[in-house]
Parts: sequence; structure tokens; C-alpha cells
Amino acid sequence: MASTRLNVPGLDGRCAGASRAAATLALGGADLASLAGGSPVASEFPLPAVQDLDRFENNVQELVKPEHGTTTLGFIFRDGVIIAVDSRASQGSYVSSQTVKKVIEINPYLVGTMAGGAADCAFWQRNLGMQCRMFELKNKKRITVCAASKMLANTMYSYKGMGLSMGSMIGGWDPSGPAIYYVDSDGQRTKGTIFSVGSGSLYAYGVLDQGYKWDMDVDTAVELGQRAIYHAQFRDAVSGGTCSVYHITKDGWTKIRGNNHYDMHYQYYPGGHPTAANDVI
Amino acid sequence: MSWSPYDLNGGTCIAIGGEGYCIVAASTRLSTGFSILTADKSMILPVNSKCLIASAGFDGDRSQLHKVLTFRSENYEHFHKKPMSCPAMAQMLGNTLYYKRFFPYYTFNLCAGLDDQGLGCVYTYDAIGSHERVGYSCQGSGKDLVQPVLDNQLKAPSILELPPKVAVTSLSKDEAIETVKIAFSAASERDIYTGDAVEIFVMTPEHGVQKEILPLRRD
Amino acid sequence: MEYVMGIKGKGFAMVCTSATAVQQIITMKHDEDKILPLGTHTMVATSGEPGDRVQFSEFVAANARLYALRNKSKLSTKAIANFTRGELATALRKGPKSANLLVAGYDKGKGASLYFLDYLATLHSMNIAGYGYGSWFVLSMYDRMWHPDLTEAEALEMMRLGIEEVKNRLVVASPTYTVKIVDENGIRTIPL
Repeated sequence: MASTRLNVPGLDGRCAGASRAAATLALGGADLASLAGGSPVASEFPLPAVQDLDRFENNVQELVKPEHGTTTLGFIFRDGVIIAVDSRASQGSYVSSQTVKKVIEINPYLVGTMAGGAADCAFWQRNLGMQCRMFELKNKKRITVCAASKMLANTMYSYKGMGLSMGSMIGGWDPSGPAIYYVDSDGQRTKGTIFSVGSGSLYAYGVLDQGYKWDMDVDTAVELGQRAIYHAQFRDAVSGGTCSVYHITKDGWTKIRGNNHYDMHYQYYPGGHPTAANDVI
Repeated sequence: MSWSPYDLNGGTCIAIGGEGYCIVAASTRLSTGFSILTADKSMILPVNSKCLIASAGFDGDRSQLHKVLTFRSENYEHFHKKPMSCPAMAQMLGNTLYYKRFFPYYTFNLCAGLDDQGLGCVYTYDAIGSHERVGYSCQGSGKDLVQPVLDNQLKAPSILELPPKVAVTSLSKDEAIETVKIAFSAASERDIYTGDAVEIFVMTPEHGVQKEILPLRRD
Repeated sequence: MEYVMGIKGKGFAMVCTSATAVQQIITMKHDEDKILPLGTHTMVATSGEPGDRVQFSEFVAANARLYALRNKSKLSTKAIANFTRGELATALRKGPKSANLLVAGYDKGKGASLYFLDYLATLHSMNIAGYGYGSWFVLSMYDRMWHPDLTEAEALEMMRLGIEEVKNRLVVASPTYTVKIVDENGIRTIPL
């Protein structure tokens, strides 16, 4: 089955062997055929020879402190889909980056958001991007949001219990219209119109639910997304940096906002935020 | 106390990428607990003519990781008759780390070099392969001390902002080298795992890679 | 909190589930359908861990369909329940699935049936059955109300009272619920 799938220019020519071997090396030892067929099997990820794997993984978590912490949101309204995210990554209480790109552009009509372990999200959504491209080449049509999210959910489900951490929204536009699916590392996958994911999601939900109307115009919707992220950054210590807002229509996604939290704060509250203006007791 | 396959050997590394240059520097002290094992252990791998990798963390995993990367890089050169570009190397390092997701290399890496336009590029990692291209970065035991200093000296607007702003470190090569030296001597004052000496690699399109060693506090 | 109840009546079976999708303390959705049709006259109401619940019920649905395609004959409700039990029992001894099911169906000549099937692969035919904290309140109530000649209207009233009781007494009750019925005409969703 793998050989028919590899029937792609550049991979079936005379240099196939070399290209494939090079690709295998570049992929870090993964077999290209198995990657093309979907997710790599667990055996490609070496495990430590220990009695208690759960305890080992917990200890490792303590040691390596993978990047965490996020607010992301997505909603569907009359004129398409809005996706908004923050950009902070932290390792424990250390802010390891303020410039993380948490929207992963899978193809011009499909985006994924990152919450949870940065490496887990980035690696598997890159893998999803490849699976979606493979689907396009095989079927000569774009993949639906439904199918793409299911592929990611299946990958996550196959690693269930191994300690992966991912909470993602797959949003996009396909022939059936706009769609958002929530997919996480437990294998949960569900379709919806309003989602927020990450440590700051509760704060974002508060603003989002209060301001959401199906009939909003685009400007209002973009502002609502940005405002929800702003307030989550304000309240949640591990969310921050810049707020990026994406709008998805039948013509694909466009990034329409990218604002520093500092600038937003003084735009929204030029005289300082009321909660910071308490009198001295 | 239960047995663990990991140790933390300390050390700090810094990388700065600018227009037409790239600097990678790392301290040479190797420690375990409160003992200093050696004063002259390099943690920078000049993996090919376009790319340097600096790894802090556990020395055992660093050795293994550098061996694997050297092997893959050489193989690439045999297949493609050219050295792997820095962005390609960065992605490969990311994948190499992620494929050990369930038994990680306990290393904190920087991958730096020059891209195809001759522009300095720096990639910074967590232990399991999450990475990001940045203008400058710092890893290792002195990270908490040094990174804020670098931010203060070098911070540029985020590339995520719209409308886009210029997001390049606006420092000349000599100024950047001086900043690195100051940062290391400062770190060696307050971090017990940073000291003895610092190796500074400077990469330019004209002169390739040049190496300099700056002595630090030895206590 | 998840809630599943089932009632077998005269010539029909009715199931009810909470319609919320929950993540930690957040209700992410109010219209999650946890009752999956398996062909025209059988359905399965599910609860359990989200990933396992959907994966396992879709697996059962796919296999029931595959059997019908291969053999040009549909599996009876009893056959589906027993097949599902077998799969659950196998899974239990490898990587356990956290999925609790109620299998409800109507078979020509045999009438309606309702099976209780929990994650430990316990299978039993029931008149009334349920899962979750809510079921502790409602099972006793249904024990009191159920009789062999139960009509559709009576069963629906029981479902309504059950939901009311749960909302009244249970701290962590869902705000929304789905009710479906299966009889000789097939499966229908009943608006509450």
C-alpha cells in the first residue's frame, strides 16, 4: 500500500531511494512509508526500560518542564469563523517565550490552535498538515474540517495514556461551510460553535458568552475575540504576549489582528484599569 | 533515593543572530551537585559550516545527541553534496528531540547559524523539541539571570504584531560580542554552575567560523 | 455530570442522556448527542470518558454495519449487545475502555429490548437501567412507577420526572438532555 501512496513526483523517480533515505534521516529515523500512511506507531518512540513508566514520565515532566499555558478561542458567526490566541509560553513559573505562534496554518482553508504541551501540539499538527496534503494528492480535493479533525483525534487516541498534552481547535471552511472541532489528547473530539481552550479559557468564556451574537458583523466579531483574549491575559498569569486574531471565510483564512497586550491595555483603559485603582485602606 | 538516568551538569549558553553575523557562546564548566568535574568541557557542536548547536543540561544526553546530529548531518552532505541549511537543521533537531518524547534527551538547545540570505538565525528549544526562531536566546543554568539582560539590550517588536514591525536585533557584531561577554561575566558572579571560561564562536559569511575563549571566574 | 437512563415499555424502548460535553469544570456544549443509532431499529446510549465513549460506540456501529453489508441481514439487538460485550471484555483485559452503554432496540417478532452493559462488560437485559450519580435518585423512582404495559406517553412522563428530580436534587446536574425512542417504526428523537 505504501508504494502506491509514494507515487508522487520526486519520490518515485530514479532518485527515489536517496530521497527516501534522506527524508527518513531528516524525519529523525521515522520510516517515510509509515508516516505517509498516518501516524507513526508507538515503537518508533523509544521507551525507557523502567518498571513504573507512569512514575518515570511524571519525573521527566518535573525535569524537562515542557512549555505550557495558554488562552485560545474560536467561534462561528454569520460571516465565518474567528480564531483568537495569545502568545505566551511558560516552563513552570518562567516565561520561556512571549512570541509563540499558537495558530498553526495547516493549509489556506484550515488552521489549528495550540494549547497544552507546545512540542506535542507543534509536532502532531505538522504531522496533520502532512496527512492533509497526502489526502489532497490522493483524492484530488481538499480535506474537510470534519475529516482533518478526526485524523488528529485518531492520532491522539492511539497515544492515549502516554502523557501527551494537547487541547486544540481545528477551524476552517469546507464545502459544507464553516466548522470548528475541539480535539484533545484524551481523544475527545466534538463539533461546536463556541470554544475556548487553555488555562485562561474560563476568563475568555466569560467575555465571549456575554458578547456573542450570531448576527455580528466582522468588525464586532474580531473585536470580541480580541477582547476575550485581552481579559484572559489580564487575569491569567500564564497567558500573555500578543493577541492574534484570524478570520476564516469561504476564501480561506486571513490574519487581521496582532496586538501587544501593553498597547491593548492602554487603548482599552487609557486612565488605568479600575481594578488597579483601589484606594489605600 | 531512587536511581535516575539523568543528571544536571550546569552551564549556560547564549546565541545572538544579527545582520551578517551569528554568535554562539557557552561556558565550559561541568558540574554535578556541588562538585566541579572539569573546567574545560565544550558544549558547542559546530555541526557543519552553516550551523552551530549549543546544548546545556545533562552531559551524557548531550554527547549522544551531538553524535546523532553529526551522523545525520554527514549523511545529508553525502546524499545532497551540500551542507544542511540552518533552518533545515533546526527542524531536524526538533524532530530528533521529539522522537525521544517518552524518554527525552535532558538537554536544552540552541541552534544558530546563517540562513540562505546570510542573515543570522537563532532557534531555541525545550527538551522535547518545541522550537521557535528568535533574534537571540539563552539556555542552561544561567538562563534566569541572563535572558532578562539580553531582553533589556536586544528586544525587538514581536513578529506576530500587525501591522508588521521591524523585528531584527539592531546591534553590530562587535557590540553583540561585547554584550555576550558582559552577560557571561555577570552570570559567573551569581550562578555557581557558570564559570572557568566561555567559548565564543562567531560566524560570518566572509570569515566562516572563528573561535575565541574568554576566561571567567575560576572559583 | 453524565446521566443515562433507559426504560423498556410495551413495544418500545426509550433512552435519555445528558446532552452536555464537559471538560474539567467547563460545559463546552449543550447539544452533544450521546445516543448513536446502530442501523434502523437499534441504538446505543453512552457515557464514560469522552475519547473512549465515542471511539468505542463508533467501533460498534461500524461493525454492526459491516455485518449487515457482508451478510445481507441485520444483527438483532441481542446479537449486537452480545458482540459489544465480547469486545468490551477483550478490551478490559488489555487497555480497559471506560464506556458504559445502554443498548436499546426493537426486533420484529421479539418486541422491544433494553440491555445494560457497563465498562466491566456486565451485560443484562433490563426493564429500567441507568448510569451516573443521577441514576441513584431516579432508579428508585422508576422502580415505583414501572409496569409491564407501560405506554409511550407514560414513559416520556417518567423521563421528564427523572430529569426534574436530577435537576432538583443533584448538585452537578446537566442543564440539557436528549430523549430517543425506538419502536416498530424505527428511532425518533423526542423533543422535551
